[in-house]
Amino acid sequence: MNEFWSRYARNRSAVMGLGILVLVIFMAAIASLIFPDDPFRLAGIPLSVPGANGFFLGSDTLGRDVASGIAHGAKTSLLIGLVATFAAVFIGIIFGAFSGYYGGLVDDILMRITEIFQTIPSFVFAILLVAIMKPSIESIVIAITVVSWPGVARLVRGEFLSLKNREFVQACHTIGMSDMRIIVREILPNCLSPIIVVGSLMVATAILIESGLAFLGLGDPNIMSWGFQIGAGRTMLRSAWWVCTFPGIAILVTVLAINLVGEGLNDALNPRLREGN
Amino acid sequence: MKTLLKSCVLAISLLLGAISAQAQKSGGTLVFLVQPEPPSLAAYVSTSGPIGLVAPKVYEGLFDYDNDGKIVHVLAESHAVSADGKTVTFNLRKGVTWHDGKPFTSADVQFAIMNVLSKVHPRGPNTFSEVESIDTPDAHTAVLNLKKPAPYMLRALSAYESPMVPKHLLEGTDIKSAKLGNKPVGTGPFKFVEWKKGQYIRLDKNENYWRKGLPYLDKIVGRFIPDASTRTAAMENGEVLYGAYGAIPNIDAVRLKKRDDISVTTDGYSMINPMALIEFNTKKGAFVDAAVRKAISLAINREFLIKNIWFGYGKPATSALTSNFSATGLHAAMPNFPAKGDTAAANAVLDAAGFKRNSDGVRMTAVLDLIPYGEDWRRAGEYLKQAMGDIGIKLDLRYEDVPTWLRRIYHKYDFAMNVNYFYQLPDPVLGVHRHYGTNMIRKGTHFVNSSRYSNAALDKLLAAGMIEPDATKRSAIYKDVQKILAEDMPVVNLFELQFLTVYNTKLKGAYGSALGAYGSFAEAWIDD
Repeated sequence: MNEFWSRYARNRSAVMGLGILVLVIFMAAIASLIFPDDPFRLAGIPLSVPGANGFFLGSDTLGRDVASGIAHGAKTSLLIGLVATFAAVFIGIIFGAFSGYYGGLVDDILMRITEIFQTIPSFVFAILLVAIMKPSIESIVIAITVVSWPGVARLVRGEFLSLKNREFVQACHTIGMSDMRIIVREILPNCLSPIIVVGSLMVATAILIESGLAFLGLGDPNIMSWGFQIGAGRTMLRSAWWVCTFPGIAILVTVLAINLVGEGLNDALNPRLREGN
Repeated sequence: MKTLLKSCVLAISLLLGAISAQAQKSGGTLVFLVQPEPPSLAAYVSTSGPIGLVAPKVYEGLFDYDNDGKIVHVLAESHAVSADGKTVTFNLRKGVTWHDGKPFTSADVQFAIMNVLSKVHPRGPNTFSEVESIDTPDAHTAVLNLKKPAPYMLRALSAYESPMVPKHLLEGTDIKSAKLGNKPVGTGPFKFVEWKKGQYIRLDKNENYWRKGLPYLDKIVGRFIPDASTRTAAMENGEVLYGAYGAIPNIDAVRLKKRDDISVTTDGYSMINPMALIEFNTKKGAFVDAAVRKAISLAINREFLIKNIWFGYGKPATSALTSNFSATGLHAAMPNFPAKGDTAAANAVLDAAGFKRNSDGVRMTAVLDLIPYGEDWRRAGEYLKQAMGDIGIKLDLRYEDVPTWLRRIYHKYDFAMNVNYFYQLPDPVLGVHRHYGTNMIRKGTHFVNSSRYSNAALDKLLAAGMIEPDATKRSAIYKDVQKILAEDMPVVNLFELQFLTVYNTKLKGAYGSALGAYGSFAEAWIDD
C-alpha cells in the first residue's frame, strides 16, 4: 500500500486531482447540511448577481440558489458517474472475459455484438435511449451504461487473450480447475489494474454525458444536476452569466480531477511502468 | 465630358434605385422559424400552433381579417346574410385553382365545412354547429342554411381557423389519416414542395395564384431549430428573418429590440387571445375534487410567472375569459384568481376539504405534464412544482415530445394536471366553449375538453350564450358561466400570454393581417 501511494504521489498533478476529488465528494456529502432546503426552492430574488441578496454564487431566473444547486448537483453527478461505471464495467468484464477466454465462436458472437454498440456514436445513442425511455435518473444510468461497456469488454478481452496461455493458467488447467474458477479467481485479478484505470476515466465520461443530456433537456426534471443548471441558464448566458458559468466550472474541475486521478492510478498500477522504474 | 456623362448615368441609376426601393420587390427567400416542428400539416384536423405557421400559406379561407378585425374577402368574393340571420350566401371567386390544377368550386366549400371542419376539426363542430346544410346552386355560390343565427361564425373563416380543403383529394379517404395531411394542396399563394423532417419545410411561389402579381416571395422556408439560443443566434446573424409565437425567448427579444436591424412587435395576435392554463383530469386521479383545483388556483403567484419567466409580457388571468373580452362586455373578474397568490387561503381550502398532510407535509402527489413548446414552459413547471409543494401537493414533472404528449392528454386521458395554452379567439363561442362543454369531450381531438368536465347547468348557459344576439343579456349569461367556472375550475387559467414577433427589418409586409404569423404572407417582401 505504501509502495502504491509513493508511486502515485510521484505524479504531482494526480495528487492534486485526488485532493479536488475528495473536496467534491465532501461537498456532495455535506450538501444537505449546508443547504438543507430543496435546491429547486425559490429562495429569493431572481437573477441576483453573485454575492447579492444572500446568494454566494447568485440566483437563477426563478430565484433558485446556484450554490445550493452545485452542492446538490455534485451528488447527482457523482452518483450517476459511479453507478453507470460499475454497471458498465460489470457487463464489460462478462463480455470480455468470456470472449477472451473461450475464443472461437463465442468470441466471434460476443465481439460482433460489442461492435454493433461501438459503431453507433455514443452520445447520439445515449440521447436516443433516454428519449425512448423518458428522461429519468434510471434511464440516464441505463443509457450511459449501454454506451460505455463496449470499451471495457474490448480491454478485458485483450487482457484475457494475453493471459490465458501463461504458465500459471496452464498449471490451473492441469490441476483440473473449472473454467469459471480460472476466469474469476486467476485471470481476472491479474487484469484488474487496467480495468481500474479505464473505470476511473469512465466516471468522468459518464458525468460529461449526464451533463450533456441534461443540457439538452433530457435530464431528470425532478433532480438537480449540473447539466440541468447549465441547460436552464443557457438562454440567459448573456444577461446572467453566473447561472451557467459556476456549474460549468464545477463540471470542468471535477472531470479534470477524475482524469488526473485516473492517470495517477495508471502510473501506480501499470506493471510495465513499474518495471521501467 | 465623359465624366459628366458618367455622373449623369450614376445619378439616374441612383434615382431609379431609390424609386424601386419604395416599391415592393419580387423574389427572394424568406426563412422563418417554425417552433416546434409540426406533427403534421393537416390544418383541418389540428390547430396545433406550428401547423398554423405553415398551413395558411398553402390553404386559404373564405375570409381574412385586417388589423382592425374587419373582414377581407379571400376565396369568397362577397357574402350576404339574410335578414333573419339564418341564410348566409358566399359568392366564390372565379378562376381559382388548387395547386394540382383542379378548379376550386362550391362543392369544395360544401365538403370542407360539412364533411371535414364540422367533423374532425377541434373547433369546427362548434363554429359550424348551426349549419344544417349547404346548397350549391352553381359552381361559384355556396348557401349556408342555419338552424339559428350564428354571427360568431363569420369571425372564424380565416385560413388558419377554417381552411378550405380540396374535395377531390379527401373524399372517400379516412380524413384524419389522409395523405394530404403531410402534403397539403391548397389554393394559397405558396405551394408545398418538401418537408425534410427535423430540418425544414419548403414552400414555393404559386405561379397561378389568383391575385395577380402576388406573392412577392419566391420561396418560404420554415426552419425547425430546437434550441432557443440557436434560434436567437440565427435571428441575430440574419439567417432567419422572422420568428413568432415565442420562437425567440422573451429575454432575447428584449435584448434584440435594441438593434437597428431587428424589430419586436406584439401585433398580429388580436384574433388569438392566448391564455396559459392548467387542465385537470376531473374524472381520475388527484384532482377530481374541485376544492383541490381551487386551492391550486389560489396558490399560484401569477405575477411571478409573468415577471420572471415571460419578462413582463403577460397579464394575470382574472376569470375563465380573457380580459380582452371586456370590449364586448363578456369578461367579469372573479374571486379565486389572486394575482400574487395566496398560500394561506389555498391551505385553508385544502384543510377544510379534509386533505391531511402526512409526516412529510405532503397531502397528495401527482405528475405535472408540461406543454413541450420550449424552455419557458419548463420553467413554469419548475415554479409550479415549488408553489404546489408549499400547499402540500407534491408534483413530479414530465416533459415529452409533442406527439406523445398530445396522445397522453387528448387520446388516452392519461394525465392528472397539464400546463398548456389555449386560444380564446375573437369570441368565447369559438375559443372557450371547447374547454367546458359536455359535447366537447371528444376523445382523440386535440385542444378540446380533456378535463372531461360535464355540467348540465353550464351546458345550458353555453348554448344560450352561443345564439343570444342581445349584448346585455349575453354578458349576463357569460357572467354566470364565469361564476360556475371560478368555483369548479376544471381548468385553472394562469395568465394572458402576449406573444412576441421578432423580425428582421428587411422583411416588409408580413404584418397586414390580424392573424399575423398565421397569415398567408402573400404580400410579404424582402428589401435587400
